[in-house]
Amino acid sequence: MTEYTVKTHGLTKQFGTKIALNALDLQIEKGGIHALIGSNGAGKSTLFRILLGFETPTSGSSTLLDIDSQALTPEMRGKIGYVNEEHTLPNWMNAASLTKMQKKLYPLWNQNVYDNVIENFDVAPDQKIAGLSRGERAGLNLATALAQSPELLILDEPTLGLDVVAKQAFLEALLFIGTENESTIIYCSHQMEEIERVADSLIILERGEVKNQSTPDDFCERIQYWIANFYGKAPDINDIKAALSVKNIEGQTHIICLDQQIGYREYLASIGASDAVEVPINLDNAVNAFLAKNHKRSQSKLIVGA
Amino acid sequence: MTKIVALALQIVPGDARPIFRQIVDGIREDIANGKLPVGSKLPSVRGLAMQLTVNANTIAKAYNELVCQGLLESHKGLGMFIAKPTQLLSDEAQENCLKAAIASFNNAVMYLDYSAEEMTEQLLNELKKLNRD
Repeated sequence: MTEYTVKTHGLTKQFGTKIALNALDLQIEKGGIHALIGSNGAGKSTLFRILLGFETPTSGSSTLLDIDSQALTPEMRGKIGYVNEEHTLPNWMNAASLTKMQKKLYPLWNQNVYDNVIENFDVAPDQKIAGLSRGERAGLNLATALAQSPELLILDEPTLGLDVVAKQAFLEALLFIGTENESTIIYCSHQMEEIERVADSLIILERGEVKNQSTPDDFCERIQYWIANFYGKAPDINDIKAALSVKNIEGQTHIICLDQQIGYREYLASIGASDAVEVPINLDNAVNAFLAKNHKRSQSKLIVGA
Repeated sequence: MTKIVALALQIVPGDARPIFRQIVDGIREDIANGKLPVGSKLPSVRGLAMQLTVNANTIAKAYNELVCQGLLESHKGLGMFIAKPTQLLSDEAQENCLKAAIASFNNAVMYLDYSAEEMTEQLLNELKKLNRD
């Protein structure tokens, strides 16, 4: 029924003079895995707190599963799962008593999903949660979260600190079991390799605004990497059109730019570059360049302000 | 039922090519070196997604591209198969493709200690494996 799991309209949140969310218009479709990324302070946590009704916006509105965030009932909150890097679980219980409790709390509890996910991790039913390794806790946490059959599952850096085996098991469980019950998954992570593998869409949040919402591949196509020779002095980053980053490496100028699919070679020639060559760029570097640009800008603003 | 072939694909983290491109290139390579003969049945989209731990939409995108390139054909209800070679490129595009391939071949062999004749002989043997009449 719900076309969009998340919808915000002009959502603004101000803390003193700091604008955490700036008239944010975000729509997240139902179903699929949506990666949400942004530098620290981009507004992710504020967004979640408002969406879940733990914080009121300064202005604007938001809905979660078609319900106004400010009017979410406990019953609605039961349809939302949340997993963060802490993997907070009741340490005094064992896995079996935890699932027994969950079954009572969640009417849509799906034991099949739980069994299939937990199978990927080495967790025995009688094992005390306090004694589990980080990877096992993550597995148990994901298994319980997915088995609740949430309509929306928010994963906040869920694989942080996991070893390669646990990470692989986590991603497999997420991709092939989680998606069976048509949950919408919002995946916050800084691990681009994971995002490239699992995400249907890549949402980039920056200074409280949405700066990109597309597939990871389509985002990558927005970013171009050029290597050119400026004999004499290379121009300043602010004098190069659409440049996100400019580096000088052994006399050559490496330029990463945004949305310049056509005519950039000619443009570079017109500002004095010769032998410009375009080289491929991976998602990790593309996202880095994209985020780094505004990092610097906001820093220089701070200095001016001070 | 036709048996599914095992695809020896590897996704390289940090590769500048997007994942779907790595899959397209990998399958093309295996077709070229004879590991995937005409008529081979490929894993399903979901099957390959599970093998590689990759979103199924990415696999679907790679398969679609290979279908557009004429290398794969989808048989409704049966799956995805390696297609008979057909020429979909214009004469000019074909010529450019060949030139690019020769340039990259030259690039790879330029410092090897083989005579042109020795290399041609081996190359000819490989080309014969492509099964062209």
